[in-house]
This record gives sequence, C-alpha cells and structure tokens, in this order.
Amino acid sequence: MSAAIIIQVAIGGLLMGLVYALVAAGLSLIFGLMDVVNFAHGELLMLAMYATLVLHQAIGLDPLVQLPLVAALLFGVGVAIYRGLIARALGIRFNTGMAQIFVTFGLSIFLVGTAQLVFGSDFRAITDGVLSNRTLALGKIVLPLSQVAAGLVCLLAFAALVLISRTEFGRALEATREDRDAVALIGIDRDKVFSIGWGIGAATVGIAGVMLANFYYISPTVGANFALIAYVTVALGGFGSLLGALVAGVLVGLVEAMTALVMDPSLKQVGIFAIYVLVLMFRPRGLFGRL
Amino acid sequence: MTGFGRKLAKGAAALGVVGWALAAPPQAQAAPPDIVIGAVYPLSGNAAPIGHDAQVALQAMTDIINGHMDMPMLMGQGGGLSNLGGARIKLIFADSQNNPQIARTEAERLITQDHVVAVIGSYTSFTAVTISQICNRYEIPYISAENSSPTLSKQGLAWFFRPSPTDIDFSGAMFAFFAGIGKQTGRPVHSVAIIHENSVFGTDSSRIQTGLADQAGIKVLANISYQSSTPSLSVEAERLKAADADVVLPTSYTSDAILLVHAMHDAGYTPKAILAQDAGFIDQAFLTASGPLADNIMSRSSFALDAGKSRPAIAKVNAYFKPLDNGKDLNDMTSREMTAMQVLADAINRAGSTDHLKLQAALKATDIPGNQTIMPWVGIKFDATGQNTEGNPVIQQYQHGEWHTIFPFDVASAPAVWNVGK
Repeated sequence: MSAAIIIQVAIGGLLMGLVYALVAAGLSLIFGLMDVVNFAHGELLMLAMYATLVLHQAIGLDPLVQLPLVAALLFGVGVAIYRGLIARALGIRFNTGMAQIFVTFGLSIFLVGTAQLVFGSDFRAITDGVLSNRTLALGKIVLPLSQVAAGLVCLLAFAALVLISRTEFGRALEATREDRDAVALIGIDRDKVFSIGWGIGAATVGIAGVMLANFYYISPTVGANFALIAYVTVALGGFGSLLGALVAGVLVGLVEAMTALVMDPSLKQVGIFAIYVLVLMFRPRGLFGRL
Repeated sequence: MTGFGRKLAKGAAALGVVGWALAAPPQAQAAPPDIVIGAVYPLSGNAAPIGHDAQVALQAMTDIINGHMDMPMLMGQGGGLSNLGGARIKLIFADSQNNPQIARTEAERLITQDHVVAVIGSYTSFTAVTISQICNRYEIPYISAENSSPTLSKQGLAWFFRPSPTDIDFSGAMFAFFAGIGKQTGRPVHSVAIIHENSVFGTDSSRIQTGLADQAGIKVLANISYQSSTPSLSVEAERLKAADADVVLPTSYTSDAILLVHAMHDAGYTPKAILAQDAGFIDQAFLTASGPLADNIMSRSSFALDAGKSRPAIAKVNAYFKPLDNGKDLNDMTSREMTAMQVLADAINRAGSTDHLKLQAALKATDIPGNQTIMPWVGIKFDATGQNTEGNPVIQQYQHGEWHTIFPFDVASAPAVWNVGK
C-alpha cells in the first residue's frame, strides 16, 4: 500500500468527516438546547438538497451561490417545525418524552413521503455546477474540488456557530440550556430562544445539504444515509458540544476511511461503532460532553 | 318534508327502480371474474425508482393482454384470457420497501386477503428469498421477474419460476465476451477487479465471477464488498485504482452505482473497461445522474432494444410503454417484468383455471419460442428448479447516449469500444 493512497484516503476521510460534523452540529445544538432528539434531521438534509436542485434547475443558480438562500429557507423551516410541532409536543403534560420522539419521527416519515410525491423517487444529481466533477491533481494526490469546497464551507459554518455563541443571543442560548426555567426570571424569552435554536440547527444542516448536493445523489431517502452517522457523531462528541461534533465528525470520517482501506469495506462501520462503544464504556458523556 | 311526503318520495323512488328494471333489456352473460395477480416491489425507499418502473411495466403488459392492441407476440392479440371466457387480469401492488421482512408480510397479505393466484416480484434477490418461501408455503406460484441470484433456484421450492437468466448465465456471457473480444482485437483481458454490494445478489455474483476468472486464467486483482446505500465509496474507488485491473466488474444498485462512478472520477481513475452486472448501471436515473461518466460502460443484459429485426414486438411494445414511463425506453428490468407477466398469463390461459395445482402444472409445461416474446432469448422452458433453460444474455455498451448490443457478435448492433491493452 503506497503512501499516496494512505494520504489520499486520509484526505477523503477528513473531507467527508467535516460534512458529517456539520450535519451533526445542528442535531447537537437542538439536543443540547432542549433535550429533544430530532429524528427528522436527515430529512432536513434531504430537503436542503432538493431545494438546491430546484433552485439550480429553475433559475440556474449554482449551488455555491445558493448557500445563503437555502440556509435562510431551512432556518425558516426549523422555526416553523418548532412553532408548529415541537412547542406543542413540549406542552403535553403526559408522556412528554414519547410525544417528542413520535412527533419528529412522524415528521421524518411525512417529509420522505412528501418528497416522493412531489419529486418522484428517482435519483437526481447536479451534474453541471461550477464544481461538478472537477478535480485538482497534486502529484499522485487527486482532490475532488466539490468535496474540498464542502470541507471548507463546513469549517466556516463552524466558525460562524462559534461567533454566534459569543453574541448576546449565544449567551441567552447557553443560559437557556443551563436552566430553561430560571431564564424566564431574568427576562429571556425562552420560546424565542428555542425557535431560533431550531432555526440555526436546521440552517446548519441546510448548509451541509447544499454542499453535498454538489457531489452526492439526491433522493427522498438520502437523509437516512447520514442520519445514523450524525447520531453516532453527536453521542461520540458529547450532546450539545459544538467542538465535540467537529472533532467526532472528523474522527468518524477518518476511522471510516481507514477501516475501509485496511479491512473489507463492507465492515467499515465496524471501526466507527467500535470507537463509539469504547467511548460509551469509558466516557459515557462523550468526548466533550458536560452532561 | 312531512312524514307523508317522505313516504311518497320513497314510494316513487321504488317504483322508478322497478320500472327501470322492467324496461332494461335482458342482461348479457355476466363477465368472467378478474384474475387477480399480486406484485411485490419496492415502491418506497432507496430502490423505489426501479419499483415504479416495474409497476408501469407490469401494468402495461396487463393492458396489452386485457386490451386490443394486437402486438405480434404470445398473448399480444389481447381480449383477456381466451380459455377463461376473456377474463381480465387485475394487478394488485404491494410495497416491500426493499426490506425482506416487509416483503414477506406483504406477499402473505396478498395471498391470504386479496386471494391472488400468483405473485410476481421483486427486483432485489434478498426480498425474493422471503417472498418465494412464503409463496411456497401457501402453494402459490412466485414468478421471479428479474431477481438474478442463482441461489434462489437452489432453495428446492416447487412454486418458484424464473424466466430470466441467472448471474451464472450472465457472468458466463461476460467471460465469453472477454474471450471473444480478446481474439477479435488481439487485446485480451488479463485481470479483473470485482466490486459488489454485500447482499445475496452481490455475493453470489462475486463468487461466480471469481470462479469463472479462475477457469479463464484471468487474475482477480481486487474483490471488494461494501454495504449498499453507504454514504461514501471513495476508499473503494481508491482500492480499485490501486488494483488498476483491465476490467472493473461492479455489482451495484442504483445509488451505489452513481456514487461509484463519481468516486472513481474524483480519485482520478478512469478504468479501461467497466462491465456491470446490470441492476443500478442500466437504471435511467444512473445514466442521467452520471452524465458523461457513464459513457462506454458495458453491462450484461437479457434484453436488447436494438434486436427489432428478430423480435418484431419490441418496437410496438416500446412505443406503448415509453410514454407511460415518463419517456423511458424499455430496459433490462422492465422488459423482464413484462415477460414475467406474459409467461404467467399464458400459463393461466393454458391451465384454463386459477386452481393452483393446474396453474403449477401449466407453468411447468411452459414452452414459448423466443420470437413470441420481446426478449432475445431462444425461448422459455423451465427445468425442475423452475429456472428457464433457454434464456441467453447479451452484453451491451452505453455509446453516445444509447445502449447497443456488442456481444454475441452475430447479433451485435455496434462494435465494442475496447480500451483494454491500449
């Protein structure tokens, strides 16, 4: 096995890991904020990918240009989901936990079904974007530009999330996370914080969706491919931790790639889940979790 | 309305009904009951595009049998099943979600609640395993339209019938092609790299290809298995690149096929030749999503759209099918699905009954010449395992946006683009 292959595989794993990390960041943010696991998270990713495809086909906008548009759209979707469903589920006094699980699980089935009804079940892809099928060769190392761009945008999105966490709203978010009942006493509108938190979580996965649409196929069930990895990443990094999501995402990407290189690729998820089990055994709150 | 008014109205209505009944002409003999056939396909989930195509194909063949389109093939004259008084076929679809457990439950529901006389399915071989077993338990024929895993015929099921060739035949055709093209061009195949999804379809295919390569003295430089619907196939592509075999032999469903050709491209790897085990690679969604990356990909096939000379029905059937399936031409999947329905309809017609034992006997006695179908096969005759012994595959290549038959050479419609050894 040559060094070039190892480096190439490591770069591929790193780039994919950054995408996993950003998908997980949105999930982690929502869970950290209000202890709700969003089972429709993968479907939000799918929604963003279809939005990118539709905008690209309808008005010829390149996916890269669409980033702010789709992020804003998904922000709106996140706020709407909170206001329309989650806030109501939180208001139920009996068996609240189950209600929260079922409402997001039901939403995921609804979104997949709606996508199949509206767009059909065919696999689609954006094949004529600025970055589509473009590669950069550095000696024996070949870099797919669409994935390099996805990795960079994911890092920028993380930087933006860190910046947001340092604003007044970020502090309100943190305070609400710490004690959702106490914040009402100091004049923080808890409901508003929750809905904006959902908006940011959805916008984050929206950005990942736009970048994925550059090099990945789009179908009603595409979200499921990433959702499981996102749950593992969040648990690995620690629920509610942005840094944890980033480190765990990259770790998952690298371990997955390296396992596929040295073992039978059909067992590549073994590496991910082995690390996951180890972390659960020795550090159940995750690498950076504070719970 | 008063109580008296209501009574008056009811009386008038009753009189009206009686009057209409008396005035109506004596009714013609009651139409024979519909023959209900079940079809289990993935209509949601990752394989749904194929399932929807199958739905269109089976319904199109049913329309041909029930209607009056006069297609030049067996059962193509229409008018329903003549030996059952012109009975019409009615299809009931069930969604397997491409999950073996759900496929089994749905097949059982079709048998016990909808009382179907036979079941057709199911695209993926791993769903066919459970469907064929439940059909066998209820003694209802299962017509395997396009499941290609040879293991299915080895289950010892008396109610399993498969008109299509299996991966043994398909892979045999691939290696016969290698021998033929090597002689023709002087540039033989020395090595192959196998990549396959890890369900029964992929593992069977890999096992057969490895054995055939061994027999032909062709080196297998890589044999890579992966789990279907994986988020990434980039490492797999790197391993194929490192192997750099003469021919890459993939066995993949649609989503993985799209990922694989993109991953190979992103790794800066252009294989000299790709010869696919059908499935995802012939799906129109793959061709559209892959664009120029699909150029010159070869696939085994049991159907040849360009075999119109010897199969006059192809053009007419395709002309009827294409608008129904959003402008998609008949392909290797949809043609086999139509043929499965034709085989079943012919058997029910010859049985002259929906009795399961008579239907089983009629299926066993099936003998359809190839020119009475849309397939380039010698014919359809089942052996003791329910496997067609006269289905011969072809090799096709995607050239300039169309599939062309390139092997066997005597039925080829275009020469192969062959970059091995260059």
